[in-house]
Amino acid sequence: MGILNGVTISIVLFGVGLLGLIFRRDLVIKLLALGLLNSAAILCLVSLGATPDGAAPFLPAPAARALVDPLPQAVVLSAIVINFAILALALVFVMLLVERYHTTDAQRIEQEAEAEEETWT
Amino acid sequence: MRRPRLPLILTAVVLAVAFCAILIADFGFTGPASTSVERFVGAAERAGAVNMVSAIYLNVRLFDTLLEVLVFAVAVLGVRFYLTARGRPEAVEKIPESRVVGVAADVLLPLILLVSVYVTIHGHLSPGGGFSGGVIAGSGLLLAAMVAGTDAVDRRLGGRFLGRVEWAALLGVFVLASVPVALGRTPLSDLLPAGTPGAIGSGGSILLYNMLIGLKVFIGSWVIVKHFVDHRGEI
Repeated sequence: MGILNGVTISIVLFGVGLLGLIFRRDLVIKLLALGLLNSAAILCLVSLGATPDGAAPFLPAPAARALVDPLPQAVVLSAIVINFAILALALVFVMLLVERYHTTDAQRIEQEAEAEEETWT
Repeated sequence: MRRPRLPLILTAVVLAVAFCAILIADFGFTGPASTSVERFVGAAERAGAVNMVSAIYLNVRLFDTLLEVLVFAVAVLGVRFYLTARGRPEAVEKIPESRVVGVAADVLLPLILLVSVYVTIHGHLSPGGGFSGGVIAGSGLLLAAMVAGTDAVDRRLGGRFLGRVEWAALLGVFVLASVPVALGRTPLSDLLPAGTPGAIGSGGSILLYNMLIGLKVFIGSWVIVKHFVDHRGEI
């Protein structure tokens, strides 16, 4: 396998997603970065189970070619569904925050929430 | 930016390097450890499923999938709860779609639903299964909602009755998983015989699980789509 395989690409994507999650201030972009992190994890798992000339994991197994490992593909299914669930629920919370503070900027939401707290005390 | 970025970047870089080092040390980039493949070939043959992936997640590692369905159900419940508690915004005037969308939806919707049923009930024979089939049908309903509006589609589907079917499907998955325990067999084992591999009735309980999960995901994804569209006002 060359240096440009699924694992290295997934590491780069993971880094991009992580930096986006930390440094972008827009909440929706943060969620997109979270989705990118998840896709990178999926790519990494599937590439670890793959062989360059592997056959799809169906029976009866072909005699000439090795099967790819089916376990990561089955595990990835959970990752996809849970990512879908997290994104849908997080999007609802972002919608509630936007409705209250009229911005998707995480820092401004934080400032306004702190200001609100001060007025209460 | 007031906050120091350098420590964060350094942490991210260190984490990435550590991650790469662990990967290289464990897997060596020499290709995968294919010892597990033979094990799963045996498991899939015992289950009578052609698709090894579905034989894993609906037979060998069924417990994983049960909790995964539960996570999906909780997410649907959360979306429904928070967006219903918030109430609907004032009605926005619906922008009429072009006639092309209506005609295309008339042609495509039956095909989409047919493909969804095929993908769901052939989950143990070909790529697919309950999760993908349910999402296909759910996005088909999104197409219908673009033409007719969410309320009309929801009424056609049965409104409140739909929610009960969703929870009944979830309950069905768990009942199906616990019946072997009640019968005194190994927990989470297959209920039905394995059958001849390749036939539609093979694969033990995988077909039943796929149908129930497909129903659950179909209704769940439609509920999520409906609530997001309703919150926005129009599609």
